Amino acid sequence: MSVGAKTTPALGPQTIRQHAASQKQGLAHVSHLSEILSFENESNDVIGALLKELAVPHRRTERWKYSPIAGFWKKHKPATCVTIADSNCEAQPVPGLDAYRLVFVNGTFDPLASDLPIAAGVVCMPLSDAVRSGIVQREISSVEKSEWFAALNGQFAGEGMYLAVEKAVELDRPVLIHQRQQGAGVPTFLRHVIELGAQSQAQVVNWSSASSDASGSVNTLTEVHVGEQAVFTLDKVQDESGEVHHLAFEAVDQAANSTFKIHTMTIQGAWVRNDLQICLSGQGCDAHLNGIFLPTAKEFVDNHTTVDHREAHCTSSESYKGILYGQSTGVFNGKVFVRPDAQQTNAYQQNANILGSRQATMNAKPELEIYADDVKCSHGCTIGQFDDEALFYARSRGIGEDEAKAMLVHAFIGDVIESIAIPEVAMEVRHRLSEKHNWDRWDDANLL
Amino acid sequence: MLTINKLKASIGDSEILKGLDLTIGPGEVHAIMGPNGSGKSTLASVLAGREDYAVTGGKVDFLGMELLEMDATARARSGLFLAFQYPVEIPGVSNINFMRAALNGKRAHEGLEPIAGKAFLELVKEKASLVELDGRLRNRSVNEGFSGGEKKRNEIFQMAMLEPKLAVLDETDSGLDIDALRIVANGVNSMRSPERSFLVITHYQRLLDYIVPDFVHVLVDGRIVRTGGKELALELEERGYDWIKEAVTS
Repeated sequence: MSVGAKTTPALGPQTIRQHAASQKQGLAHVSHLSEILSFENESNDVIGALLKELAVPHRRTERWKYSPIAGFWKKHKPATCVTIADSNCEAQPVPGLDAYRLVFVNGTFDPLASDLPIAAGVVCMPLSDAVRSGIVQREISSVEKSEWFAALNGQFAGEGMYLAVEKAVELDRPVLIHQRQQGAGVPTFLRHVIELGAQSQAQVVNWSSASSDASGSVNTLTEVHVGEQAVFTLDKVQDESGEVHHLAFEAVDQAANSTFKIHTMTIQGAWVRNDLQICLSGQGCDAHLNGIFLPTAKEFVDNHTTVDHREAHCTSSESYKGILYGQSTGVFNGKVFVRPDAQQTNAYQQNANILGSRQATMNAKPELEIYADDVKCSHGCTIGQFDDEALFYARSRGIGEDEAKAMLVHAFIGDVIESIAIPEVAMEVRHRLSEKHNWDRWDDANLL
Repeated sequence: MLTINKLKASIGDSEILKGLDLTIGPGEVHAIMGPNGSGKSTLASVLAGREDYAVTGGKVDFLGMELLEMDATARARSGLFLAFQYPVEIPGVSNINFMRAALNGKRAHEGLEPIAGKAFLELVKEKASLVELDGRLRNRSVNEGFSGGEKKRNEIFQMAMLEPKLAVLDETDSGLDIDALRIVANGVNSMRSPERSFLVITHYQRLLDYIVPDFVHVLVDGRIVRTGGKELALELEERGYDWIKEAVTS
């Protein structure tokens, strides 16, 4: 197995034209980071060239039109805290969850806070160990070849999780990655590599948290290969206080008859962008992408997804739901490609949004490109507000306005949360959301 | 129970209630009849606290409280109930959770603890049997996919759960077949008591065969123009509204 080898390029991001000022800014940022970070990847000749060749994102390009990236260019500084013991948080953010655990604090692996799986047919270790011991070789992945920030990750990410599950092995417990951002101005780069052998099964929870004084940036690239008939679920929970800029790439490649399910749940975060690319590279694949985001104040949440149907008889089902409060901004861009060979494709995409305040903004764009003729593709995209009639009806029964709104919120996003396979994760997501939004009655609403 | 004094209300630029007076005593059943556009549903909405209507004059006293100063939630918790002409569908919120939140809101207002799960379910069972609301509908989303009759039965079920002091029924008979009408009326009649009052808004005398009123009022052009006993409803059924309109204008 080699890093980057198994992921195929999505029929995706068009070449972005370079913009001189942005280019200069980006390269200045690279040298700034080189001074701060002790780690640079060895293959940096190729990466270095990519960082110059690829366009640094700017607002004049469609993919980055609504995502202001100026926050990334702020001065960073080296991390002072690299262990959970020195942070003010628990190693395990999900109460009651029985899981293996890898804890990263400001991008550094914390062995004392971690609990790695030791099981036959499972290799799980920090990526740096896997590279050092020759288990993985460094190669440039397709997403690094097409996205400047992913190339930046290629340059500076020396740590992350390496997980390989052999053929027909079922991991007995979920693996929890807890990624902690602690303190001001820290640049964090993480690379996770996940390889599922044929007919294997695994669940990964990627929980990111941050201290209230945290700032700086997080750049995560997760490469996933799901082998034939394998089943993989990834639950991402983003619950970061402070002013962190968080950019996450997931490049997922599915072999024939495999199943992949991802939940992307953004509870809080000053600036969050998730870039999810799924390639259905074999026949009979099944992909499920679900997400919720409930930004408040001036938070920014962007979900870019690409599902590339390359082969016949695949199913993809996507549902992203957002409720935007305060002066927050949301972005959804959902691409679905159905290539000429991908007959009998069944693709479904839904993006529903509620503007919970007059100052909130949502930019939504479904993009379907269909080149096969015997397919079933549907999509729906809505932006609306809370139903006044339903609110009045509830109030006329003696239900308080806030509680009535909490009920409508639950009605709106409850199905996404309930589709999370790990109950402890679903419960904690619900709990964290009610804390953020002061929904006392959220749990009550679901009692019966 | 309820005293309405010179109530004026408008929506947009048009005044709909033009100085309406009405007094309802405890245990009384009042019926309001009137032609289309006379302001019947507006009266129900204003009483329940719908903000779409601007109250431009008058006073409403409900059990010694200034009703118009209270928001919709507070009115409901104080014992006012409106059975909607068009009950609202709320996908994703189960009927039973909805009622639990409503009942617990009222209980909190009265200084009571939230109702225990078992006691609540028993209460649901008892009240649902009043209007023959089957278990399937209790667990479905509020009014979603209910037939017209089922929606109206659900309104009466909610009323029975909340045991209001004053219930306003806004054209509860519209869209009901004769069997559903009987079920709804039986539900209402079983709740009649010396302490509970009803204001029944209807187009047709038919409902009043089942829910027999103590008083019948005729609402024309935003005012009550005639009040009588239940025989007034029969007279309206026979003669229509024109003779009253003419009597009023002349």
